[in-house]
Parts: sequence; C-alpha cells; structure tokens
Amino acid sequence: MNVKAITAAFRQQGTQFLADPQWIIPSIIAPFMFTVVALYMYSGAGELDSPIVLTAVLGGGVLGMWGNMLFSSGFTITYDRYNGTMEPIMLTPTHLIDVIAGRSVWNVFIGMINAVLVFISAQLIFGVGVSVADPLLFFPMLLMTLFSLASIGLMLAALFVLTRASYVITTILEFPIYVFSGALFPITALPEALRPISYIFAPTWGVDALKTAAISGYNTPMASFGIWFDVLMMFLLIAVYIIASYFLFMRIERNIRESGTLARY
Amino acid sequence: MTFVSDRMRVIKASCVLSVHDTFTVIRPAVWVFLMVVPSLFSMFFFYMIAGYATGDPDYQDFVVIGNAVQAIGMTTIYSVASIPGDQKHIGTMGSIYMSPSGLFSIFLGMSLFSILAGFISVAVSLVFAAFVFGVSMASMNVISVAVVILLTAISVGGISMIIGSVGLYLRTSAILANVFTYLGLILCGVNFPVTDLPGWAQKIAHCHPLTHAVEATRGAVGGSTVTDLADPILMMILLGIIFAVGSVLTFRFFEKLSRKKGRLDVF
Repeated sequence: MNVKAITAAFRQQGTQFLADPQWIIPSIIAPFMFTVVALYMYSGAGELDSPIVLTAVLGGGVLGMWGNMLFSSGFTITYDRYNGTMEPIMLTPTHLIDVIAGRSVWNVFIGMINAVLVFISAQLIFGVGVSVADPLLFFPMLLMTLFSLASIGLMLAALFVLTRASYVITTILEFPIYVFSGALFPITALPEALRPISYIFAPTWGVDALKTAAISGYNTPMASFGIWFDVLMMFLLIAVYIIASYFLFMRIERNIRESGTLARY
Repeated sequence: MTFVSDRMRVIKASCVLSVHDTFTVIRPAVWVFLMVVPSLFSMFFFYMIAGYATGDPDYQDFVVIGNAVQAIGMTTIYSVASIPGDQKHIGTMGSIYMSPSGLFSIFLGMSLFSILAGFISVAVSLVFAAFVFGVSMASMNVISVAVVILLTAISVGGISMIIGSVGLYLRTSAILANVFTYLGLILCGVNFPVTDLPGWAQKIAHCHPLTHAVEATRGAVGGSTVTDLADPILMMILLGIIFAVGSVLTFRFFEKLSRKKGRLDVF
C-alpha cells in the first residue's frame, strides 16, 4: 500500500470534484430525492417520528452513499479514458489500486456529507424526528458502512478497467444493491431464496448496524445476533473485497498491458 | 422540398450511425439486458417498499405501473440527454459542428433510436408488471396502452432533447438528465399520488409529460379507451409539441452560446 499515492489521488479527486461542480448533483441532490420518495411512501404508514419513517431516512442516506460510490467508481476509469490520463497513470510505478483507493476515500468523504445532509434535510424540511438512540455507536457504524461501500466500489473499479461500457454496468448495478441491502425495507421481506444474496453484501450488515444504533428496540432476525456481529461481518467482507480487489487489479493490469486494450473506448 | 428531404436524409443517416455506435460499444444482448434489468429491479424495489410500508396489494399495483412507465427515464431521458456530452468525449463534436447538415437534425437522428428504446422498455416493463408482479391486465385496453406509450416516448424524447442541448454548453448533460429522471420519481405520481404533493409542486408536475403518461397508462391498464383518456392524451400531445419546438430553440441558443464562449469542445 502506497500511502503517498493514496493521499495524492485523494487530493486529485477532490480537485476534480470541485472543478466540475456538476458532480454535486448526483452526489448530494439525487440521494435527497430518493429520501423524499421514501418519506412520501412511508409517511402514509405512520407518523413522521415513527421508527418506520426513521428507517426511510436512514435507508435514503445509505442509498445515496451507494449511488455516489457506484457512479464515482464507474466514471473514474471512464473519465481517465476520455481525458487521456489512463496511460500516464499506468506508466507510473504506482499501482492502479493505490490511485483508485485514494479516490475511493474521497468518495467516502462525500458520502459522509451526503448522509448528514439527508438527515438534516429530513429534519428541517419534513420535520422527521431524526433522533439517534446511540450517537456514539451510530457515527462509527456510519463510517464503517461507508468503507464497506468504498471496498465494493474498489472491486468494481477494477472490473471497469476491462470494459468500455462501465456506465452500462453502473446502471445495471444501481438497483440490485438498493434491493439487497435492506436499506429501505428489511431483507426478511425478500423472498427466502434471495436472502443469501443480501448476506454477501457488506452494506447489508452496515444498514443493520445503523438501524440498531439509531432505533430503540430495533429488532430483526439479523439484529438478534447483536450489533457486534454486524461489525464482525462487515470487517470480514471488507477484507474479502479488498483482497479480491488487490488480486483483480494485479491481474487486470498485467492483462491490459499484454493485450494492448488499456485506452480502448 | 429539397430542404425537407435533405434534413430527412441527415436524420436517417444519424439514426443509423447512432445504432451502429451503440452496438459497437455494447453487444445487442448486453443492450437488451441493460433495458430489462434496471427496470425490473426498480419495479421490484418500489414494489417491496410499497408492500412493507402499507401491505396494500392495490398500492403495490399502483407503484408497479408507475415504475413501468418511469422505465423510460433510464432509456430515453438519460440516453438522449447524454448524446452531446458523449460526442464531446469521443472527440466527434468538432466534426459535427463543422458539417453543413445542421446540429439539430443530427442530434434528432441520433435520438430516434433511444426514443424507440424508451417505447420498448415501457412495453417490456408492462409485461413484467403482469407476469412477475401479478398486476391484472384482464381488462387492459391494448390500443390505449400502445397509444399512450408511443406518446410518452415522443413527448419525453422532446424534453430529453432540451436537456441534451445544455450539453452543448456544459461539459455533459448526463448528470442533469439523472436529476430530471429522479425528479420524475417525486413529481409524476410514479410511487404516490400527485395530490400528496404541495400545491406548487403539483403545478410543476402537470408540466411534465410523465405525469400524464403515468395517469393514462394506469387508466389504459384498467380498461379505459383512448376517448376516456382524452385529457391526459391531449396534454401529452400539447406538451410534446411544446417540448419539440422548445428543443429546436434551446439547441439554437446553446449552439450560439457555446460558439460565442468557445465551449464547443469543452469537457
């Protein structure tokens, strides 16, 4: 791991984000819109300070973080290809995974801002009572959930190096994670055959941990294992994603150099 | 007459070229997959939320039909609006500007395939609604549904071109298209009735063709004839004409502006 390269990539991603303010739209505004839809759908089911509505706000925040992470991962390689910066990156002695990791950390930072803005706007605009039962537990869980999303983003970014159609894959992947993460409805509502898919996504455990920390008396079959089981599962899955990303990046870097398909788009 | 036939030739050539471009980047099978999977999952996602929030099967049907129509957002709105930005990125914008064919005709031709794709995606989503989500289509009026979907694709295509024209000036309009698609989820009665919105938002909602498309599709699935659906259909035609004229004007405006500011090829 090259910390210097990761820090530089973090700074570069930040500069690029601020230089092209359009990115504020998918990063900040789109998650807010998702939360609004969820709030309207859930508000028919209970008072605005009921746990089910708080679920919508928490879920909306997580979906926003995922959307931001997915599109950032998808576009990061695509834009390098468009801008002609892919070849110089590959020519440096720094591994691509370090560059992408730095960018992913920036995305975590923006995702964090996302989530906070969603919570604040739900409170100020819709008057949803966003009272977190255990704030000391909630914020570390939020950060871990974000890192779990970033680790998936890292893995996907490796695959996006291989394809000219990363935007196609991002579009395809957006909703499945929404469905399987249990962000806006518990995974117990899914057909039984589909539930195991949810368990292999680290954000599913993150969502469960967030809800356990935020909602008093929150109880699902997953929550019955306790919040520390969620944390353990997140750690395990994040480790798996990062190790898989490392091997994917090494393999892909070698393959694209051999096949000469690096800058193809 | 020559002017019209020349324009038609340009539109046709641009359309053929855009189909060729699309299938050069992605295989036809992947393209079909792209049309089918996101719309199926978005329907499933909101279907599950509706079920969890209320447990009311009628509300779930309401949401499924709404999202079947909203599928056009992913195919038509996003694809059409992205065209100018994409041309900048792949370096063909300069050549397009320099050709004597007229920018609008070229982009209209390039948009036609995405407009057709929008029509197909809504039709496919309605098939999902029936066979995957169990929405009853027993009393569906097929002619009404076909008319409504066709008008939806055309009217949404017009507004997508307006968004796309911004891409002549900005780096890309794809992001703006994304927001517009998400706005559709809030404003157009896709997941909850438009009447739940505040008064000012309802007024904006009625200027969006998707609002009338969603209302008309629900009616057509319920058995309403084209005559029964005269109000939303006429509104879609009216909005379609307004947006078509609007797209010509905005293309001219942003073309002039980007020439003046030297942003023809900025991305």
